[in-house]
Amino acid sequence: MSESAAALDITDLVFRYASGVADVLRGVNLRIDHGEFVALIGQNGAGKTTLAKHFNGLLKPSSGSVRVMGRDTRAAPVADLARAVGYVYQNPDHQIFAQRVRAEAAFGPRNLGLSPSEVEQRVERALALVGLREHADDFAFSLGRGQRQKLAVASVLAMEPRILVVDEPTTGLDQAGARGILDLLSTWNVEGRTIVVITHDMTLVAERIPRTVVVNDGLILADGPTRHVLTDASLLRKAYLRPPQVTRVAQRLGDLGVAPDVLTVAELYRQIAARMGPS
Amino acid sequence: MEPADDVAIRVRDLRFRYPGATRDALAGLSLDVCRGEFLGITGPSGAGKSTLCLCLKGLVPAGEFSGSVSVAGQTVAPGSAYVESSALVFQNPETQIIGLTVAEDLAFGPENLRRDPAWIRAAIPVYLDQVRLAGYQDVDTYRLSGGQKQRLAIADALILEPEILILDEPTSELDPIGKDQFFEVLERLRRERSITVIMVEHAAEQLAAMADRVIVMQHGLVVDQGPPDQLYRNPVLFHHPQAERAPQISEVLFELLQAGLLPASQFTAQEEAGIQRLRALLENSVQSVAQRV
Amino acid sequence: MPVGYSIYVDRPSYIHHRLDPRTKLAALGAAFVLALAFNHPAVLGGLVVLVLVAGRVAQVGWRSMAPFLAGSVWFIILGVLIWPLYVRSGAPLYAIAGQTITVDGLLFGLAMGLRVALMVTAAGVWMMTTSPQKLTVGLLHLGLPYKAGVAMTAAIRFVPLLNAERATIAEAQQARALDLRKGSPLSRAVKSVAIIGPLFIRAIDVAQGLAVAMDARGFGVRDGRTSIVELRLTGVDRMVMLALLAASLLGIALRLLGIGLISRDYL
Repeated sequence: MSESAAALDITDLVFRYASGVADVLRGVNLRIDHGEFVALIGQNGAGKTTLAKHFNGLLKPSSGSVRVMGRDTRAAPVADLARAVGYVYQNPDHQIFAQRVRAEAAFGPRNLGLSPSEVEQRVERALALVGLREHADDFAFSLGRGQRQKLAVASVLAMEPRILVVDEPTTGLDQAGARGILDLLSTWNVEGRTIVVITHDMTLVAERIPRTVVVNDGLILADGPTRHVLTDASLLRKAYLRPPQVTRVAQRLGDLGVAPDVLTVAELYRQIAARMGPS
Repeated sequence: MEPADDVAIRVRDLRFRYPGATRDALAGLSLDVCRGEFLGITGPSGAGKSTLCLCLKGLVPAGEFSGSVSVAGQTVAPGSAYVESSALVFQNPETQIIGLTVAEDLAFGPENLRRDPAWIRAAIPVYLDQVRLAGYQDVDTYRLSGGQKQRLAIADALILEPEILILDEPTSELDPIGKDQFFEVLERLRRERSITVIMVEHAAEQLAAMADRVIVMQHGLVVDQGPPDQLYRNPVLFHHPQAERAPQISEVLFELLQAGLLPASQFTAQEEAGIQRLRALLENSVQSVAQRV
Repeated sequence: MPVGYSIYVDRPSYIHHRLDPRTKLAALGAAFVLALAFNHPAVLGGLVVLVLVAGRVAQVGWRSMAPFLAGSVWFIILGVLIWPLYVRSGAPLYAIAGQTITVDGLLFGLAMGLRVALMVTAAGVWMMTTSPQKLTVGLLHLGLPYKAGVAMTAAIRFVPLLNAERATIAEAQQARALDLRKGSPLSRAVKSVAIIGPLFIRAIDVAQGLAVAMDARGFGVRDGRTSIVELRLTGVDRMVMLALLAASLLGIALRLLGIGLISRDYL
């Protein structure tokens, strides 16, 4: 694997299930460089999860190519690609089976064939990073949903992949839980990890994720800075999505001088306060 | 609050603790719900919202229960009779669909209550139409999308002809389209009937648009309540980094309120009304600038 | 594993729609009785053909019935290899390792394999022509307690769901470098715990959620349930069931008389 290669390089990806009647992905081109933080959005059935499953080789292209750090996924087994690409599933209960938290987090690294001491080190680090250190010896199923979500993330992080794909991490979580997970991902991204998040939560994308890719009907409809993509209402409408409320409100005030590319509450407030001038 | 016979649900000092738990799930909660009201419930995980929903449906879990709950005049307690006047829609689209086909699923509830099969067969298309699933009678339920399953779940509840509809985070597992279609069906229902609705939701924007009153639960108690336009002003519960989610429009207006740029009477949690208030604010300031010039 | 609820495929055939599920159940029962009554390969082979003909009358495709026959081939092979060691009657054919193999032995072995083919194919055709919904109601009419009927429907309802869960779990664990292709059969079985564990727990979660949802919709609140599915036994049903009863009794009678058998000593 060459270091100058992109983290993920996808060219003309077409994919159809063996028993399928139509192409689910119809020619996707996508390049994600190391250290990027990307949101993958689109309605259910648009192909975003199908696309994400190509990132770690769970699905192989029907035609076109998918390269992970320069390596063609067609030639690599999933168990191998798992070293480089971690995939956290939406429902932590699809992964958790071990008795104790520590054993659960150790599952991935052990599958990689690492030495027991290396496994132990990685587990400690991963649990510390998600804030589950004190629960290391607890039963995995005694944790609440939000903590199990963190455990699922920790189990994948313990494999220390350079690229992390996270599927709908905030579903079923309350506000505090959702913020907690995003904080975690932001921290990892700041430390150099490439992160791809599949999500429906427009508000969180607007506030926290710098690049947005919109998937619609098996194709990439838009790919760029969140500020451009998420504020383009007519584009999002084609994908059956809407901008966050604060963006919609800002755009209804366009004729009064408010900028149309507002993404957060703070930005809209500043725009309005500025226009109100000295009282 | 209207006189006593307009109260659909009365809860007094409801205390509940799950077996082996270290603290109460419900800690002496009191609540009145008026007939025909749309009550929203929000609050962090673990606040006891789902436990409350179960109690209001008469499904008190195993555990320590005390206090009084009265639903449409019927007393609810552990082991009490089945409560027919309320129906419950759960969060998970999968586990509340029981039938192999849509018609079979819709018939499940009435069949349990030994309703006349002819009545059930006639009612099925009516309720499917109300939830925008007209013509789906013979579709296998496993083929439905999450959003369709949740709409079917509303129909499953409505065909029981309840006075009170309780929804526990019904859209949290749905994608944006599923959410929109679900709320659309609920809005229509609201307009066409006078059914009492209680909905636990984190989707603050939609909750503010539909609810007459919203209560916030924390640690098994109601910590604040009021019409959305009042409730979402609370600076302790909202508008800071550790807060519960509030509609973004209310967050913007709150900031303006704090800065003295918005009169308190103009605060709202509704998107349309909020846009109008902001327009008025900006137009006035343009005018006053123009006047000074 | 079926993609949907069962392998039932709706076809506009007489057997699918005009026959009551109780009649079809009786047919399955008769097939099993006759399968056990005889042990002559020609008789059993003929019965297999009869079942296939019934399948074709019900518009079930050859491709759908073939897997059941194919699966039985193993039993035929096994039968022909093992049974001659027990059945020694009839004309001797050859000797292997000091054991004498007779004609009867081989025929009996073949018959045993065909017996499996008959039962399996009959069950398969039966499943493909009987809707689970109607079957449950039929069983209720036969005296199955109503709660058991709902339990049956619920179990069938969750087949596709648990199938999908299993697939998702397998993917999620593969993404954690679980490799089920490598290693000895024993180590692979041990690795499968990573899939069976979460699946088991998911199944319990689903069952618990389902139980609460059922309670919320009044399950068990009254004594018994009504049903929107109406079943009536018609004259045709009664005639068919009578014919099946007669065939079963005839089969038993022939057995007692020793007709249609290779060996009277073995079932």
